[in-house]
Amino acid sequence: MAVWVSGMGGWIRSRRPQGWLALAAALAVMAAAPVPENAGRVADSPSEVAGSLAGCGLGSAARGAGPDYYRFPMVSTRRVPGTGNATGFGEIAFAKSPFGISLTEDGSYLYEFTVRFERLNPARTGTYVVWTTTPELDEIVPAGEMTDPAAFSGKVAWNKFLVVVTLEPAFDPDAATWTGPIVIRGMSRSGMMHTMAGHGPFEQENCAAYGYE
Amino acid sequence: MSRGLAVASAAVLLAIATPAAAQEMDHAGHMMGDMGGGWRMPPMDPNMPMIPGLEMALPPVEPFLAAAGIDVMTLPEARPGEVVRLAPGDTLDIEVSIVRRTLNGHTAAMYGYNGQYPGPLIEAPQGSTVLVRVTNRIESPTTVHWHGLRLENRFDGVPGLTQDPIEVGESFTYELRVPDAGMFWYHPHVREDVQQDLGLYGNLRVTPTDPDYHGPAHRDELLVLDDILMDDAGFIPWGREAPTHALMGRFGNVMLVNGVTGHTLDARAGEVIRFFLTNVANTRTYNVTFGNARVKLVASDVGRFEREMWVQSVVIAPAERYVVDVVFPEAGEVAIANTIQAVNHFRGEFYPHVDTLALVTVAGPPLDDEITRAHATLRTNEAVTAETAALRAHLGRPADHTLEATVRVHGLPLPIVRSMEIDTLYIPPIEWNDAMPMMNWLSAGTQVTWILRDADTGRENEAVHWTFQQGDLVKIRVFNSPDSFHPMNHPIHVHGQRFVVLARDDVPNDNLVWKDTAIVPVGSTMDILVEMSNPGDWMLHCHIAEHLSAGMMFHFTVE
Repeated sequence: MAVWVSGMGGWIRSRRPQGWLALAAALAVMAAAPVPENAGRVADSPSEVAGSLAGCGLGSAARGAGPDYYRFPMVSTRRVPGTGNATGFGEIAFAKSPFGISLTEDGSYLYEFTVRFERLNPARTGTYVVWTTTPELDEIVPAGEMTDPAAFSGKVAWNKFLVVVTLEPAFDPDAATWTGPIVIRGMSRSGMMHTMAGHGPFEQENCAAYGYE
Repeated sequence: MSRGLAVASAAVLLAIATPAAAQEMDHAGHMMGDMGGGWRMPPMDPNMPMIPGLEMALPPVEPFLAAAGIDVMTLPEARPGEVVRLAPGDTLDIEVSIVRRTLNGHTAAMYGYNGQYPGPLIEAPQGSTVLVRVTNRIESPTTVHWHGLRLENRFDGVPGLTQDPIEVGESFTYELRVPDAGMFWYHPHVREDVQQDLGLYGNLRVTPTDPDYHGPAHRDELLVLDDILMDDAGFIPWGREAPTHALMGRFGNVMLVNGVTGHTLDARAGEVIRFFLTNVANTRTYNVTFGNARVKLVASDVGRFEREMWVQSVVIAPAERYVVDVVFPEAGEVAIANTIQAVNHFRGEFYPHVDTLALVTVAGPPLDDEITRAHATLRTNEAVTAETAALRAHLGRPADHTLEATVRVHGLPLPIVRSMEIDTLYIPPIEWNDAMPMMNWLSAGTQVTWILRDADTGRENEAVHWTFQQGDLVKIRVFNSPDSFHPMNHPIHVHGQRFVVLARDDVPNDNLVWKDTAIVPVGSTMDILVEMSNPGDWMLHCHIAEHLSAGMMFHFTVE
């Protein structure tokens, strides 16, 4: 039976503490990895982000379709031999749609993503597998086996997502999650959405009133 | 002190000086009730706190409500829109008048065409010319723009370009030449942000000469999508001298379909219903879902798609139209809904948000006749592909003109500027909701200039002027620059001509359809090929009403 609804779809209710823990864990993993010298600096403009990627040798000729604005860096964990100097970026474009904007049933963007790499040596043993996941790591989708160490394309249907490349003994399309080490990973530009709770102009706010501890 | 800072300071002083009569505050610091001078703060999500420093701020324009000072109960009550079928040469009289409407429990003055909501559905046969004599009985000048029609230029309804405004008490007769079949619409081209929002919109359906133009359907239904901004006391006032909500456009919080809340309709399972969707909202882009129904996309603004296709939903930007053939498979109640992932800027999150637009009561048992069975087939429209084949030849060549969409602001309150500078670390491709209602409300058309910049000349908005010859096929690239104070999606409308979207972000469009309006997401590039078939002076502009009022327009000439 359908009902009249108007309002938020329950984003507070749907929040899971374990999601935050998973995110914190994911961020901790990412933070523990060696980072490029300039990784802590936020680019002054989207074009600078694009420019900095082009500076990795991945110039415009290497780019595919899609708005430059939403390009995001892929950062090596340096945990896997032969991949420490790997650099790369991800880019997104709407999956084909007669409306110019492609959405899933719940209104999430449906993107075709491509990740491109330089200096990512072929796997010495096993194979590279590309995964997409939410920032909370509560849903993980194997996007496919990366047979070309220079590029991989797939689809993703989340507004905020991570692309993770791992080294696996073999590709299992039914795998629930990865078992091998993370080689290189990146977060969609939407990951830069910034919560203002508890600091800046909202430093004096009672954050508990908005669902924060 | 810079001029911007001076204005910001003045705004703060003005806010501080505002008497605090009849004010209350909710837990998040939102002002409720009259903030002084007739302004009321738009309702905000209680989970979104006020930005410190803006608690008492007001838009730097005077508030406007229709028919102020008139006892609303003395106004004639508006009635649902009627269908008016015109034969070639017929004349329809339309009076633009002030009416009484009750929405969400509030009775207030609004506007209407012939006292109806929406205005009359005008039907005219393809290839005919019909006349509409418009008389202005509202409180300000108006015109009527016939959106999507390739009509004679002097009847396009643009004040200062194709006609003088119709002053109060005066009339203007439009001759409508209708060469293309489809669902068009009409609305004012004077302060659309106010007049259109107050109810001045209606559809014009041009019935095709080809009886097999569309596949079979059991019946047609209109879905005219709108929203309006209200609080517990009624409509949030509009800006008198210039629009409020100049940054993102005025999102409503009350959803209207065919002018009413709580739209319902009955259907039979298996019945093929042809829905004609028109988005008449000031700024909202909808993602319209039909529950478990099977939805076939057949046509858009000015014609049919090359190929019909199945879709999960209909994404429709302001001023666009889409036609879908829908079959509800089984008995029950189905919500036609706007299903989006909204943005919560305070938390930096997306969250699912659903607004029911209409409820469909589906009765059984399912129909299974020829029409139902025909719905399972996707047609290829040979007449369209015959036209569009030559258009694809333009894919590989450079654009004749490139436009960059951007924005400039001046004099916004400092807390807004600071918050926006942080917030624009990431801008979504589409703003599905007003994620910053307070900041948006406070930004007036006097402080925000939305810009279409000619990349070749650097000229902006009305300083741009292009000249073409009738018959030219002109390729225009529109780039929605993400490098601005507040990038946002823009539905670009070309008057008096038709175009196809050749490509988006350099990806060719493999299913062309004639359009008059198409949306450009943030950061994206859209290549359109405009068939300059219709001589005259024509506008090109963003169809977010507040962006239009904030300058995002220019005109071109077809000789």
